[in-house]
Amino acid sequence: MQLSAPESNRVAPPDPPTGPHPRCALLAAALALPGIAPPAAAFDAPDAHTVGVRHLEYQDSQPGLRRVRVSSPSVWYTGPLGADWSIAASGGADAVSGASPRWHSAVSGASSFRDRRLTGEVRLTRHLERTAWSAGLAVSDERDFRSRAVSAGVRLRSDDGNTEWSAGAAITRDRIDGADPSPVAGDRRTTELIAGLTRITSPHDVVQVQASVARADGVLSDPYKYPDRRPDRRDQATLLLRWNHHLHDGPALLAGSTLRTQYRYHRDDWGVRAHTLGAEWVRPIGGGWTVAPLARVHSQSAARFYYDPVYDPVLGAPFPPGFAATPGRLLSPDQRLSAFGALAAGLRVAWRIDEAWTVDLRAEWYRQQGSWRVGGEGSPGLARLDARILQFGASRRF
Amino acid sequence: MSTALSAVALCGAALLAGCASSAPVQPWEKGELARPEMRMDDAADARIADKAFASREAASGSGRIGGGGCGCN
Repeated sequence: MQLSAPESNRVAPPDPPTGPHPRCALLAAALALPGIAPPAAAFDAPDAHTVGVRHLEYQDSQPGLRRVRVSSPSVWYTGPLGADWSIAASGGADAVSGASPRWHSAVSGASSFRDRRLTGEVRLTRHLERTAWSAGLAVSDERDFRSRAVSAGVRLRSDDGNTEWSAGAAITRDRIDGADPSPVAGDRRTTELIAGLTRITSPHDVVQVQASVARADGVLSDPYKYPDRRPDRRDQATLLLRWNHHLHDGPALLAGSTLRTQYRYHRDDWGVRAHTLGAEWVRPIGGGWTVAPLARVHSQSAARFYYDPVYDPVLGAPFPPGFAATPGRLLSPDQRLSAFGALAAGLRVAWRIDEAWTVDLRAEWYRQQGSWRVGGEGSPGLARLDARILQFGASRRF
Repeated sequence: MSTALSAVALCGAALLAGCASSAPVQPWEKGELARPEMRMDDAADARIADKAFASREAASGSGRIGGGGCGCN
């Protein structure tokens, strides 16, 4: 569960001018309709309470073996606190079970586990005329992992409402208690900074640029992979570009729909370089129904200390060649740090039943494999990873 | 900063510079922008899906910070 930082990043059109202009009157009427409240609500305290539930079912697999399954129900609430304040809160319980590979993707290395994760998050926002200040707290507890995060953010809107600047910071403290026989235990501290700029560029276009940096210090090795010894520091930088375009005209199939696209570049001092491209086409079909096909492409290079599944001729798996002769070297057999490409496709269907109730269903399929890396060789010798992600949500305004 | 990151940053700057040169959008032209799907912030389902992807990849970050971490086996 993550906190939007700094909260949402909606560019807020100001209220339409008052007066007899018929176009303005029409717009004001349109904005008053439920479901198309102006994004200005991001700056003004919400005028209604909304409570929702959501359920996630996640299952990943590799050829011949089901891996990890996550079942995660959650509840959330947003609402006003007086005229200038608002609060958002959520909580959830993840049931995690299945088999996680101890090294690379070897079926023989899979270990079964079962865990439960409790999460909670609260965010308080102070709404002023052109700025919004927010502060948040997030907690997460598992049997062998505890996380506490605090964050703060500010958003500033230009006089004409066409530009928004945002900035935020967060500090997260994690406690890792590797269960026996794992030798990995200790603390981790992560500091994050983010800054963004969002701009309305036409009556049908909004673009956004966000840059963030993060530094993690402490235990970064995986307690359930062996041998796994990573640096005790990781510096990451991410650049995110987004573009939302409303198709006002054109063929009947396209008119009235919206194309949401984003590109993310990620790099860190472990040697990982990742490119991620996402697109979502949102098409209202009448009766309060909306359908949205989704697609995502990801490609990354390997961390410099990731080693391929080629093992020491004497020690065998999972030890890399020369393991005994180089004690203390950095190394990891974690498939997530390998070089690969990934594709995801899905569909989101939402139904606004009436002024109060909304329900949605989202289904996605994901596949990751080395040969799909773009712009370079993927890591050899790994089984592909497939995942199925299903979500159901319902909310009510009152 | 690597060449790739510099190139991406320049593209972003050029994108915004191009935007800045266009005529400001007037309040009465913003009807389409009020649609929920034109908002830049992700809906809850998108945030959760991003988190699932991040648990299986080495990269993360979709404009949010300060979330509670996870062991993510």
